[in-house]
Amino acid sequence: MPTVKERPKPFVFPEFCKGCGRCIEACPKHCIEIGTEINPATGLIPVVLKLDLCNGCQLCIDACPEPFGLQPQPKELDFELMDPEKMFGEKPTTAPVPYPILDTVIQLPQVDPLVIKGTYASAIGALLAGCRHFFGYPITPSTEGAELMAKLLPDLNGIFVQAVSEVATVNMMYGCSGAGLPCMTFTSSPGFSLMLEGISYMVGAELPAVFVNIMRGGPGLGNIAPEQADIKLACRGLGHGNTHAIVLTPSTPQEMLNLTMLAFELTFKYRNPVVLLGDGYLGQITGKVELPKTMIKPGIPEWAVFGDEMHRRNLICSIFLSEQDLEQHNIHLNDKYASMIEAEQRADLFYCDDADVILIACNTPARMAKGAVEQLRSQGIKAGLFRPITLWPFPIETLKPLLKQAEHLVVVEASAGQLEDEVRLALSNAGIRDYPEISHVQHFGGVLPQQHEIIHTVLSLEEVLS
Amino acid sequence: MSAAFYNKFERHAHGEGLKGHSTHYCPGCGHGLAHKFMAQAIQDLNIQDRTIAISPVGCSVFLYYYMDVGNSQAAHGRAPAVALGHKVANPNSIVISYQGDGDLASIGLAEIMQVAQMGIPITVIFVNNAIYGMTGGQMAPTTLIGQKTATTPHGRTNFAGQPLKMAEVMAQLDGPVYVERVALYDNKQRNRAHKAIHKAIQLQVEGKGFAFVEVLAECPTHLKMTPSQAEEWVRDYMTPIFPLGVKKDLTVEPMWDVKSPDFDPKKLTQLVGGTIESVPKFAKTFPSHIAQHDIALKLAGAGGDGAQTAAMLITKAGINEGYDATHIPSYGPESRGGTSYADVHIADTEVLSPASPNPHILIAFNAPSLAKFGPQVQAGGTIIYDSSVITEPPALHNAAKLVGVPFTEIAADLGKTMVKNIVALGALQAATGIYPQDTFLTAIRQALKDKCAMIPLNEEAFSWGMKAFHGR
Repeated sequence: MPTVKERPKPFVFPEFCKGCGRCIEACPKHCIEIGTEINPATGLIPVVLKLDLCNGCQLCIDACPEPFGLQPQPKELDFELMDPEKMFGEKPTTAPVPYPILDTVIQLPQVDPLVIKGTYASAIGALLAGCRHFFGYPITPSTEGAELMAKLLPDLNGIFVQAVSEVATVNMMYGCSGAGLPCMTFTSSPGFSLMLEGISYMVGAELPAVFVNIMRGGPGLGNIAPEQADIKLACRGLGHGNTHAIVLTPSTPQEMLNLTMLAFELTFKYRNPVVLLGDGYLGQITGKVELPKTMIKPGIPEWAVFGDEMHRRNLICSIFLSEQDLEQHNIHLNDKYASMIEAEQRADLFYCDDADVILIACNTPARMAKGAVEQLRSQGIKAGLFRPITLWPFPIETLKPLLKQAEHLVVVEASAGQLEDEVRLALSNAGIRDYPEISHVQHFGGVLPQQHEIIHTVLSLEEVLS
Repeated sequence: MSAAFYNKFERHAHGEGLKGHSTHYCPGCGHGLAHKFMAQAIQDLNIQDRTIAISPVGCSVFLYYYMDVGNSQAAHGRAPAVALGHKVANPNSIVISYQGDGDLASIGLAEIMQVAQMGIPITVIFVNNAIYGMTGGQMAPTTLIGQKTATTPHGRTNFAGQPLKMAEVMAQLDGPVYVERVALYDNKQRNRAHKAIHKAIQLQVEGKGFAFVEVLAECPTHLKMTPSQAEEWVRDYMTPIFPLGVKKDLTVEPMWDVKSPDFDPKKLTQLVGGTIESVPKFAKTFPSHIAQHDIALKLAGAGGDGAQTAAMLITKAGINEGYDATHIPSYGPESRGGTSYADVHIADTEVLSPASPNPHILIAFNAPSLAKFGPQVQAGGTIIYDSSVITEPPALHNAAKLVGVPFTEIAADLGKTMVKNIVALGALQAATGIYPQDTFLTAIRQALKDKCAMIPLNEEAFSWGMKAFHGR
């Protein structure tokens, strides 16, 4: 026997009707009329249903733009007596509460050291850290890293996407990272500028991703030679709003690999982007690189929007419409920044213990400075090198005890004082008023400070000569 | 109501009062209908757990208040890029990018074009109401000519740009498999819109490709009309410019087959070139007769002379011997044809400064390189140059040893001029004794392990380079 299709008539809670009247024209039987009374709860005039002629065609329901607007009448409940709040269920969602799926640490076969470029070392570091998703836009001098990813990822069932721009790149990363997976890009200064808006969104939405910026000469198109003039952007200017990210500064191909791996660890630890700043030299330089003993197979964090049952209730978002909510969110971010400052300061010291003159340098200029220290020591001058490995947070706690002995600080950098500004700001924020005189060796536009210039500057300091 | 809606909109002002069950949209807005059709399709296709909705910027920025699916909120215009990121992260997810006209057809044009052309299964629902809603009624890229908005108070002119017909643009591209434009102004159109959205999502579920549905929607508030007038306006004024209907509908086979990422440690090690070769060491001590701890070299020539390869071989050979070594190539436009030079360092423990402004050894492949870098070589250093191309070396006012060896001539005699850099390495070995002969030969054989047939020629070139130095 054929069953008659049940066609319940509609009903609507007046509070949930905005009175738009789409249903009025939709009804072929003219059962619905514009109301005449303002609903005191909404200030709107809901429609009035007169269902004597209604045949349950439900076209009105299809025409109603409100999810809780016109509904089919339930069979058993007396909906007119129901509290609308309770009518639709107590729980907002039936989605389960997610839990983290942890990373797996896998032993690596031991092999001879590789002899590879800095950008390659960084790309290999990313692969070892479990990154199988790369998004990027080619820009010299960072392209080799992306090229290696394009070559290797297909063999690892990974995904390489050459995005239409750096803007698209960072937003593809937002999506992949939102799904809870490790992802990265290689870029260089102008491209990094374009990514900053997206980085701000990622900080706001608390998403992990690794940005390797092989800095080149600026401003503008500048040139493709090494510079360090994005320190300001990375440490102080990651897009709009209250943003910070850990900034790592390697100085050898080996560190390009090690610190890229560390970057992935930290970016997930804090749910915050990490920036790895290299310079054009460091991207291109070939050197000896030892592989680590282990690699990572990443899990899925509990907050991810992965597109499966467990993660259905999650949301990736940087909007907090109410001022109070956004203030709370900023306080939460500030707490994270504070814990990064507390736990993640890193520096490498070279002959600093008894140093009268402390050179401060990072990236390739730190290698020139290291050469200078060695030469100065051979001349009997107590020089040392303080090399920040994190520029943000600046490793001020490591620098502080050295300031008692030191008579001079010499900041060596390929920028017009951006590193020096970080040093001065760190001293000031730490409440250190009494610190040694700060001199500097600076070059710009792709010229790097040379060892002999650093030596010359140190030798010209009065106290050293006296 | 579709189960793909939350039972309570807790994200809408914490779900307090009426907001727990009302949308933020104005009365008569078309977004609510597009949301309902999307939610119904998600329920009917049984994909609620797999679905990720990408909320755009614009009035529909709060899509995530309502949809009980995974939600990701994108920056203005970037929803397709975010959607792509989600889709490749989990190929099994169903990703719906929901966008308005400003978001998709103005600021986000590049992203929608790229993702559409990639053709991967993603569903885009594009709500076109010919005006900016959230910012307060300004011109949209789809605003009609003559239409008055807050930023075209005298009516849109051609100078403000002509309305962009995105469905037709999408249908012209090769990437999408399905493109349709629908409307919401009467029962028939709503039925079509519902079916189109269902189909666009179903194509993704079947792994068939990129689908795009443009929904002509009403914005009564900014059109300054009643909802009913707005419906008529869409029908009478929008549809002539934006004709409804299917713009593209290909019959295709499923194409979406992405394997799970590989984390096999052996495979990864092999891919990055990790091997255990147990390379023998030949050097007894660090060549401190050249420099005590750190030797600086520069190799310079024209692009194609092989200076970079020779530099890499010197570096690799040094590392084989247990030293630290670095190589920095000159790069950029000049490395693609013009001058090419390389700085190499070899150090007993650690290379400090990797640049070679004043090298101990210069290998010059042409006259300009010799003229440029010759004067910078340290006193007591060695300059080895190609005497086939530099017949009269310039007088250098430093106390460096000048060694001419006819790299090119020897290489040509061997039948391949490209081995002139290996001839140069032979000369370098003979002139400086930087490493034993076998150190070089091992590095050369290593580099040619995939081109074994080339090894004898290179060995011969190396040995002729040595002989040429001794027989000068």
